[in-house]
Amino acid sequence: MSKSFDVELINVQKKFGTNVVVDDFNLQIEQGECVSFLGPSGCGKTTTLNMIAGFLEPDRGDLLIKGKRMNGTPSNKRDLGMVFQTYSLFPHMTIFENVAYGLKLRKVSKAETKRRVDKVLDLVKLPHVAERYPKQLSGGQRQRIAIARALVTEPTLLLLDEPLSNLDAKLREELREEIKRLQRDIGVTTIFVTHDQEEALYMSNRIVVLDHGKVEQIGTPWDNNRPASEFVHTFIGKSNRLTGVVERVLDHTLELKTDTGISLRAVRRNDCFAAGDKVSIYMRPESIALHVEQRHSAATNVAKGTVKLTSFLGAYSECEIDIGQTVLTVRLQSVEQDGWLSPGMHVYTEWKPEDVFVFARKENGR
Amino acid sequence: MSRKFSPLGIIAFIVVLFVISPLLVVIPTSLTSVKYLSFPPIGFSLQWYSKIWDRPEFVDSFLFSLELAALTAVIATLVGTMSGLALHKYRFRGSGTVNGLLLSPLTVPALIIGIAVLLFFTRIGLAGTFTGLLLAHVLISVPYVVRLVLTGLSSFDYTLERAAYIMGAKPLRVFIDITLPILKPAVMSGMIFAFLTSFDNVTVSLFLVSPTTTTLPLAIFSHMQESLDPLVASISALVILLSLVFIIILERVYGLDRLFGSNSHSH
Amino acid sequence: MSESRRRKMRTAVLLLAPAVAVLLGVFVLPMLYILLMSFQNKQEHISLVNYATLVQDPYYLQVLWRTIKLSLLTVLACLVFGYPVAMYMAQASSKMRGIVTFLIIAPHLVSVVIRNFGWVILLGEKGLINNVLMQAGLIDKPLRLMYNELGVVIGLTDSFMVYMVLAIATSMYQIDVSLYKAAGILGAGKLRTFLNVVVPMTLPGMLAGSTLVFSLSMSSFVTLALMGGTSVKVLPVIAYEKIMTELNWQLGASISFLLLFSTVALVTLFTRLVETKRYKEVFSS
Ligand SMILES: Nc1ncnc2c1ncn2[C@@H]1O[C@H](COP(=O)(O)OP(=O)(O)OP(=O)(O)O)[C@@H](O)[C@H]1O
Ligand SMILES: [Mg+2]
Repeated sequence: MSKSFDVELINVQKKFGTNVVVDDFNLQIEQGECVSFLGPSGCGKTTTLNMIAGFLEPDRGDLLIKGKRMNGTPSNKRDLGMVFQTYSLFPHMTIFENVAYGLKLRKVSKAETKRRVDKVLDLVKLPHVAERYPKQLSGGQRQRIAIARALVTEPTLLLLDEPLSNLDAKLREELREEIKRLQRDIGVTTIFVTHDQEEALYMSNRIVVLDHGKVEQIGTPWDNNRPASEFVHTFIGKSNRLTGVVERVLDHTLELKTDTGISLRAVRRNDCFAAGDKVSIYMRPESIALHVEQRHSAATNVAKGTVKLTSFLGAYSECEIDIGQTVLTVRLQSVEQDGWLSPGMHVYTEWKPEDVFVFARKENGR
Repeated sequence: MSRKFSPLGIIAFIVVLFVISPLLVVIPTSLTSVKYLSFPPIGFSLQWYSKIWDRPEFVDSFLFSLELAALTAVIATLVGTMSGLALHKYRFRGSGTVNGLLLSPLTVPALIIGIAVLLFFTRIGLAGTFTGLLLAHVLISVPYVVRLVLTGLSSFDYTLERAAYIMGAKPLRVFIDITLPILKPAVMSGMIFAFLTSFDNVTVSLFLVSPTTTTLPLAIFSHMQESLDPLVASISALVILLSLVFIIILERVYGLDRLFGSNSHSH
Repeated sequence: MSESRRRKMRTAVLLLAPAVAVLLGVFVLPMLYILLMSFQNKQEHISLVNYATLVQDPYYLQVLWRTIKLSLLTVLACLVFGYPVAMYMAQASSKMRGIVTFLIIAPHLVSVVIRNFGWVILLGEKGLINNVLMQAGLIDKPLRLMYNELGVVIGLTDSFMVYMVLAIATSMYQIDVSLYKAAGILGAGKLRTFLNVVVPMTLPGMLAGSTLVFSLSMSSFVTLALMGGTSVKVLPVIAYEKIMTELNWQLGASISFLLLFSTVALVTLFTRLVETKRYKEVFSS
């Protein structure tokens, strides 16, 4: 092996009966990285994590931790820390006993145990709850303790399975900040499972986007501007979809025409297009601008439309604009909107070539 | 909503009184100074308590019952807890059927179980032995333990086991440190319930005791058929007090209302 | 099958082994054994002689009928007295509900022998009831309150009341309080609300309680022996006599099965009847 990774998955597959839940999973994680598994419910995130944890055995492929093959090694010998969605603190033990449990199993001395438990409780900012029982803590506090418990043994790898999904929105933001800070400070290699893309973007160095047990894309948060597939693009946020064909392929640009006759230019991101290809065309609501008058004479990347509906959503507003057989959702800053748009008004929608995402359309017409 | 003396409240009071009165009258009766049963009791004396010691068959059968019930409780709890775990944690094809089978002794009258076991044990040479009696008591107690353990497990969160496991605990450690303490209320209630089931039983014991050893309820039963004197009252009073201790523990640990599902408890 | 699956299965089998062994050795085999025995004559040859005796001798049919009659009376008594208790429990504060539940269940955990002994004290010639009635001058010689069918029904009702109350209470708890109110708003009087809303909704509870109390009463032996005296002969008592005093095991075994099958048959029949009637009501309204 030329380079050593903390975690390596090689062609890992898992089936339940005939149902292939994880297929051909390949991933390498470096020391100290935080990798998110992102994907919709049922896509195999937990299953993959459970295989890394040793709760499930892969049907095919290899799992390596610190370069050692782990297939068949029981969980208790893998030296991992794990945080579960439901906290899973032992209800019959005090917080101190909960956190100290892993150390007790490792026969660490009493004094050393106390020192290390105190240290992690400090890290999660809950030094005063040691003598309490889990049911005397709030949800957020319990999850902090669960994190402390997972970190106290200084594991090779920290696994977090949707650790924030049982908490309310505000706590979720607070705690994810804290987990990020801890992770970066301690430098523990981490896998973070979530179905919330914002969380994934915030937390991790790299994101693995999963769909139906297949890896759709592995990339850094910035790679979201270069989605590898239609699925990744639509999963990471709302997007308007148009259908059309490729008219011309230029060096850096694609010229397109929608089925409703609108001409578009898009930045060309890869080589796989030819004139005449049927494509799906996406534009995010926040990358479309609205104007009362046409500002350029050019007839590309502009469409005339009628306001159908406006909704105020706090920091921003959303409008639905009918551009003839298609309705575009457009997102504006609320200050920008400020009441000048009203249903029935005629407007021009405009967008930039770099904000247009083009994907080959599958034959079955998705 | 309920007023102090609603008609329903009065009826409920009367019925509750009806159900507990046979136990309530036993204690005053045991303090009577005359030789026959009467209520209200006549005079006051503790003679019927001291007379218990003159009757070795009651003392012996009491000790025998205690021993039998304790052994039954321990065995039934072990066997029942193991089955409960197998059925819930290692759920497999056909576990529903096995579950139904394990609970089936509850659906057949105790009298018929007693008869069947007597005739069968006579055939294989176990009738009248302590082992035979113990096995029969275990049989009628295990279903309760299984039921209680399954109820306990139904709210058990298996990720707790995983949490301990991944922290480095071996499977047996996980069971001892995590699973068992959390299941303790259910297992303990199962043990007490098994104890009381064995300690109270007459119908099955009736067919399986040997002429030399008998259980306390059976000794009382036989004595009552020959003569009715306040001696039975003093013994019964002691049994009631002992049972009360267990009943209160059971209520504290588990809650009596949860003990009684929809299954039968035969006599 | 994967390795881990197989390991799990092995663990499950090992854990279940003791229970299944006890079940087989102390329940399944004995039951099969006496089933076989009930089809044997005294010389242990296959024969229907026992069942023929039971059907032909009017004595056994008489006993069967008495067993059924006493069980039905017990069910009736449990229903009449248990229903109001369950209603009270459904309406009471949770504290009162807890107390009543405890007081109804707790005596049940004391041996039936001792409870029956208490009844002997209460119902005997010098017992509480006769004493009170004599003192009040209502009677001049003690009433015979036990060692007859009355005593048996009292004893059985006490034993099995708990099942009826809990079964009805369980279905009571499921009635939404707003239903009472809705019925009240629609102008139904208290009695009409009770008959049209509460009773139909607690019917499953009453049915469950009744079948349970019926089955338990059919096979109860101790109470019969202690409170029925020698005169009240029911199936369990004669099964005991055949086996323990006459040593006619084959006939005793067949009486056991007569008891088991008549109970199951009657419970099934009764359940069917009630349920068809309910369907008819639902569809005709
Ligand atoms: N033990 C099992 N037996 C059979 N199928 C299973 C089992 N566990 C999971 N699955 C199936 O595998 C698929 C992936 O499940 P998994 O729990 O990995 O999804 P997930 O991505 O974690 O979803 P969520 O976001 O809802 O937690 C699902 O379709 C699920 O139904
Ligand atoms: Mg999951």
